[in-house]
Amino acid sequence: MNLTHCLLLASFLFCVGVYGLLTRRQAVAVLLALELMMNAANLAFVAFAHFRGGPGQLFVVFALAITVAEVAIGLALVMLLYRRHDDTALDRASETQG
Amino acid sequence: MSQWIQLFALEFAVVAIAALVLLWDAFAPRTGRAVGWITALLLGGVLAASFFVDGSGAAPHGVFVRDAWVVFHERLFLAAGILGVLGSIDWLAMRTPKRQAEYYALLLFSLAGMMLLAGARDWILLVVCFELMSMPLYVLCAYGKQDGPASEPKLAAEAGLKLFVTGAASSGLTLFGLALVVGMTGTSHIGPIVTGGPVGSGPAPLTIVGMLFVLAGFGFKVGAVPFHMWVPDTYQGAPTPFVAFLSVAPKAAGLATLAIVLLGGWSASSSVWLPALLVIAGASMVVGNFFALPQTDARRLLGYSGIAQIGYALLAIATQSRGGLAMTLFFVATYVFTNLGVFFVLHAAAEEGGGHTLARIAGLSKRSPWLGGALLVFLLSLAGIPFVAGFWAKLFVFMEAWNAGLVTLVVLGVALAVVGLYYYLTVARSTYMADGDRSTPVRTGFALGAAIVVCLFFVVGLGLWPKPLVEAANHAAAGIVSGR
Repeated sequence: MNLTHCLLLASFLFCVGVYGLLTRRQAVAVLLALELMMNAANLAFVAFAHFRGGPGQLFVVFALAITVAEVAIGLALVMLLYRRHDDTALDRASETQG
Repeated sequence: MSQWIQLFALEFAVVAIAALVLLWDAFAPRTGRAVGWITALLLGGVLAASFFVDGSGAAPHGVFVRDAWVVFHERLFLAAGILGVLGSIDWLAMRTPKRQAEYYALLLFSLAGMMLLAGARDWILLVVCFELMSMPLYVLCAYGKQDGPASEPKLAAEAGLKLFVTGAASSGLTLFGLALVVGMTGTSHIGPIVTGGPVGSGPAPLTIVGMLFVLAGFGFKVGAVPFHMWVPDTYQGAPTPFVAFLSVAPKAAGLATLAIVLLGGWSASSSVWLPALLVIAGASMVVGNFFALPQTDARRLLGYSGIAQIGYALLAIATQSRGGLAMTLFFVATYVFTNLGVFFVLHAAAEEGGGHTLARIAGLSKRSPWLGGALLVFLLSLAGIPFVAGFWAKLFVFMEAWNAGLVTLVVLGVALAVVGLYYYLTVARSTYMADGDRSTPVRTGFALGAAIVVCLFFVVGLGLWPKPLVEAANHAAAGIVSGR
């Protein structure tokens, strides 16, 4: 296993995340997709740090904290949407026009 | 240690005000408008202090550098923050009297993130500051979830979620791009050398991919085409006094970040990002201006207009010269005051008229000639008519871009500015020519009125005498781009 394998895995995860972000209509699934994108980045950071050195691992500590805060806000917003629409499907909640 | 405190004195002060506001609310809740006024006054004190505190210097390892560039941005963000607070006081006291302090605290945290951002010269610090700026905005966007004119659907939750999803996705893009860039170069410093390959060979392919990902991530945040989908929806749904702040300060911070990264960090690899930046700038001008034409909701219209204005600002960054960057700063500074003013007048009119559609604000000038006149001045400034601030901003940007050889985009920009004039005047026409269904003067709260007057003062003042700001911008830009 070398750097290329790890980066391929990270890219694959990132693509799965982007695919989920673009196709999923449930807000919770979108949050999961976002999480997948962030973690793909973290995997790439750690892989680079392991095989080539550099500040990648330090970066991951900060990135994890950011991700957690972001998901907390995201879930709160999904709750807000649910209270208003009794539904977390994004396409049914969309009312802005133009 | 003492140097550290001096470096971050203003940022510490802003965070301290946020903590104070929260604590005060915990011990003495329901203080009416006092909490907002205290916040605005304390922020004014911080702004005044920025003229007396000389905190220039650098943090260890050069992760944070405080120079004229940072001071310029700190003052700009503080001014936007004060006006943003002033514009919200009346609305908050009326609509959510029990939950005022959180609003100001979140706005102040976001402000602290922006102020730190301008000085960040390390990727880790930059990303953390960017998120510190962004996350409170997601919350504020959904703040008045049950509020708004009775005739309009309550869209705040949707607006907040849309801003959040695009914001988080762009964070993901940026992080993944940074993993590649930082991994390949082996340093998190935003320095002038980005290769990742053998010395003198230019950036490695993976580094290039990473750089484009990072550029796309920041493109989302400033709302440039093709990453603009969230802008009109969020502007339409979020509370208007907050949209006023959202439409200027984070954009200015995003542009500052782009300047730090592209002109400060990656200047040697401009062959990689310049074509992408030019396409983004051109597309933003075209899409923003043309999509604004058919809009009937004034906030959506201003959302698309904001996309177009970002296109002009990016054009100035693409010149890669010190003069061009200085004119980006001048452009952004005038845009801050103009757009805040537009949204504040719109807010005042919509609170009474019952909505933000052009039909609802019709007849504003007959009801309140002062508000109508102020709106006209702001719209003319956005359109770039002499002699208000926006005219000099557009003129200087186009001149710098012309000198840098970006002739095609300048011609495109000038042509599209005419399109812009059309839809800005559509708004003005609906307030001057059309008759509304009411004739009583629009009541404006004292704080909101004060905010509008300050914006008007700067828009007219900078239109008549732009020289001090131009000099300050030139001085500030030297911190990022040396030479001409």
